[in-house]
Amino acid sequence: MKRLAGTALVAAALLALPLATQSDFVLTILVFAFLQGMLAVSFNLVFGYAGQLSMFHAAAFGIAAYATHLFGKHLGVGYWGGVVLAAALVAAISVVVGAICFRFRLREFYFAVVTLAFSEMARLTVLNWNSMTNGSLGINLQERPIDGTLAWYYVALGALAITLVVCWRLVHSWMGRAFVAIRLNDELGDTLGINVFRYKLVAFTAGSIMAAFAGSLYAYFLGSLEPGLLSIDTSLGIIAMVLLGGRRAVAAPVLGALVLTALPHLIHFSAEIRSLVYGAILIFSILVMPQGIYGAAAQLIRRHA
Amino acid sequence: MLEVRGLTKRFGGLTAVAELSFSIVQGEIIGIFGPNGSGKTTLLNLVAGLARPTSGVILWQGTNIAGWQAHQIATAGLVKTFQNPQLFPELTALEHLLIAGHLALKRRLGWQRLATLFRHAQASQTLAHRAREVLALCRLDAAREARAAELSYGEEKMLGVAMGLMCEPQLLLLDEPASGLGAEEIANLERVLRDLKREGMTLCVIDHKVGFLRQLADRAISLHHGAKIAEGTPEEVLRNPSVVSAYLGRAHAAI
Repeated sequence: MKRLAGTALVAAALLALPLATQSDFVLTILVFAFLQGMLAVSFNLVFGYAGQLSMFHAAAFGIAAYATHLFGKHLGVGYWGGVVLAAALVAAISVVVGAICFRFRLREFYFAVVTLAFSEMARLTVLNWNSMTNGSLGINLQERPIDGTLAWYYVALGALAITLVVCWRLVHSWMGRAFVAIRLNDELGDTLGINVFRYKLVAFTAGSIMAAFAGSLYAYFLGSLEPGLLSIDTSLGIIAMVLLGGRRAVAAPVLGALVLTALPHLIHFSAEIRSLVYGAILIFSILVMPQGIYGAAAQLIRRHA
Repeated sequence: MLEVRGLTKRFGGLTAVAELSFSIVQGEIIGIFGPNGSGKTTLLNLVAGLARPTSGVILWQGTNIAGWQAHQIATAGLVKTFQNPQLFPELTALEHLLIAGHLALKRRLGWQRLATLFRHAQASQTLAHRAREVLALCRLDAAREARAAELSYGEEKMLGVAMGLMCEPQLLLLDEPASGLGAEEIANLERVLRDLKREGMTLCVIDHKVGFLRQLADRAISLHHGAKIAEGTPEEVLRNPSVVSAYLGRAHAAI
């Protein structure tokens, strides 16, 4: 009950926030943070709950961004049609990639490396398929499916909320328990009748589909497509958000996304020093708060309660 | 209900299980004994799908399940516990049982269980209720909220049995449930297994010595070098000369 009240309070505050600030700057940062948050929360379903360190998440995000544009342009289905088709495409690709990795029982480091290789394949395809993707120059998106920062704010907030609800329901169901079993001891899960292959694949594909929606929105808010969306930097950024926010609560990665999206804008140094300071803050916080901001806060509250 | 015919498992040049045949009848407790290295654990792993047989047939209710995957065999109603307790670190005893309730939910609801992802209150209540029953049956009520790392060795092993029961098996395979336990814990285990027998559960228990199963088992099989050397009541098996010689020098351990 207390948790429900807390959630309602945060939701109300976020809904009312644009009334308090007219600043386009603040809203823009929040839109980016919400969309990155979607990406981090969905990644955490695969990583924090099912225990699979997928490096394919950035690829799902970037493929969907490109596919939304290309489907919209070449099939004439419009932006939202493109979003749905892109998610379907990403789902199909994820099932294939996941099936290969899980059929060969790739675990931990091996799974990360092979999914990274698939991710690089996708990035190189985007980079070199000039006629479709305009290569390294990327594409400027002229279309404005959602107009104005305020509208974007509510769309991004809504998308994040849906992602959180879906992940919350999954994690707190029998399927979430199967995910946890796989992360903690998959051999035992197997003898208890859990189809390890199936639920790894479900977690991986569900996470990728949510990343796809995030990618379709993100690119159009940004207004451009470029191969960097699919790069290892994006993957590492997602991991950093999850580690910083926390892995053991569905919404915790959003905290990491907020901090890491806002931080570069709050540090007023020259570009070189800024990356150094940014990196140092990240390393320091992960060393001091191994359970992330969420874990540290929860511990603090428990100590004082 | 289970019939094993000509089951063989070789690891390279080593034959762990050799041309083994036996059957298990519904409602009985069958004990499988043999010195260390006689192929008992390998046998259970073959039956439970954790290892693939080199040759032979494992008929479970008329279907050959040799080579099936472990989760398929568990779904078919044949569940195994581990000699060295396998647990989910960080989780409490109750959470272990909720995870192990997966199969019961799968059997009861089939694909309809997908609907419970969106309204799961009732399904999870039934599950939690069953988990409490199983904890009580296994004398684990006190450990309900304890995390895996906080359990004693005896409790860890008993939690393995409890997880097996949550799967609602028709045949429960227990891999040395008594090894490493103190006298009191063994007495406790014996009580739990008796309760299970009374409820009509079929049990296959392996151990390296006859020990506590002497009173409990309806039938015993003795293995040596992966082959069956004796079968009968526990007393008959113990008197069998080849069993005695298999344990020679360790005769006391056997009895």
